[in-house]
Amino acid sequence: MRFILTTLAFSSIGLVSAFGAGDGGHHGLPMAAPVVFDLGWFKITNSMIAMCAVAAVVIFFAQLATRKVALIPSGLQNFIEYIVESLQSFLAGIMGEELARKTFWFFGSVFLFILTMNWMGLIPGVGTIGWHTTDSHGHAGWLPLIRGANADLNMTLALACIFFVLWIVWSVRANGVGGFLSHIFLYHGEDKGIMKFLLLIIFFLVGILEVISIMIRPVSLTFRLFGNVYAGESLLEMMVYMGGAFGWLTALPFFFLELMVGAIQALVFTLLTAVFTALMCRHDEEEHAH
Amino acid sequence: MEILPILAAAGVVEGLTETASSIKGQFGLQSQLFISQAIGFLIFAGVLYRFAFKPIQSMLDERRNRIIEGEEKLKHIEKQLAESEANTAAAIAKANSEAVRLIDEAKTGAAAFTEQKAQEAIASAQLILTKAEAAAKADRNRLEVELKREFGRLVAQTTTQVTGKILNADDQKRINEDALARVEA
Repeated sequence: MRFILTTLAFSSIGLVSAFGAGDGGHHGLPMAAPVVFDLGWFKITNSMIAMCAVAAVVIFFAQLATRKVALIPSGLQNFIEYIVESLQSFLAGIMGEELARKTFWFFGSVFLFILTMNWMGLIPGVGTIGWHTTDSHGHAGWLPLIRGANADLNMTLALACIFFVLWIVWSVRANGVGGFLSHIFLYHGEDKGIMKFLLLIIFFLVGILEVISIMIRPVSLTFRLFGNVYAGESLLEMMVYMGGAFGWLTALPFFFLELMVGAIQALVFTLLTAVFTALMCRHDEEEHAH
Repeated sequence: MEILPILAAAGVVEGLTETASSIKGQFGLQSQLFISQAIGFLIFAGVLYRFAFKPIQSMLDERRNRIIEGEEKLKHIEKQLAESEANTAAAIAKANSEAVRLIDEAKTGAAAFTEQKAQEAIASAQLILTKAEAAAKADRNRLEVELKREFGRLVAQTTTQVTGKILNADDQKRINEDALARVEA
């Protein structure tokens, strides 16, 4: 029942949001997040404003929930505990209990961050509250005050790069530098003779491909998240525009789709990063366990 | 090492550079924005860890430990209860056997005591009877002596009064013995 009410509430919010965007006319979502405040050496984009606002709200609720942590949970503490425990057990299933616990600060944060940022983009006012601008060529434009943070490539690239650095740190810490390189390039089988020699060459060549694959990971993580979120926001805006006076109706199915996509993308990013980490670090944990 | 000039000759490097530059311009990639967003996320993660994950994880650990402790205590209590029940059953059995033994001893003791008291009563009664018989015999003897003396005195007095003769001690003795012999016969 609660889920249905929540879904209805979100859908009504989305309708208003979509309708608001329709009022502003079709202005198209730029790929680059526009700079809202330019302080010369420091620029603030509308996606940064969104990030700060959502981060503040999430942290406020987190602090509120854990202000008086009780042994017998109730209310908001119960809800936060449910999220933390579910997420931790989900990650423990992929990475093992110990590794999940050590790295939970990142994976928990990144999941909640992406999820809240994605859903925040569906709240009325995001992308619709702003002002009209005119560029140097005299073209009229629209500058929204807030934009979904993950619809900014700087944000998704930052997330991917932070993970990449952490992944290297965790991998080296778990395997050592030699173990890290050995894990990528060396053959660890029991074969001997010519077979071993051949496999060593093959594994070394595969290691080179693996390095390329590792280097590609941040790029794929970045563009996957950005592409999905940006496409979703563009799609909603396009549907409202195409629907004209009934833009809210044409956007309605896609709004539900975006609710789902927002959650799925948060899960996909967290899942992939967790799997990448587990591939490099988990075997070490299992050996320690033995 | 020879691959870079080959790629450069083929225009691959230029193409990649151009593509990267195009992506950078098209998507608005800027180092300052990138660093700001990265720092923003790290602050978010740090604060979230400090105010949400850490206290919640500590609480979950504490709760888990309490459950484990509770389970261990429960097992310990169950073990203690089983031991206590066994001890109680053993104590009851021991008490029962002890009680039976005491009752038997009491029965035996009571029978012996009763017998002893009965014997004592019999002995006491016998003693009293013997004493009574002795006393009765002594009284009879004393009465016999007194009677003999009185009889002798009466015989002597009567003889004196009848004969008018004053009897001496030998006469009195002889008359008394004769009178007594006649009475006893």
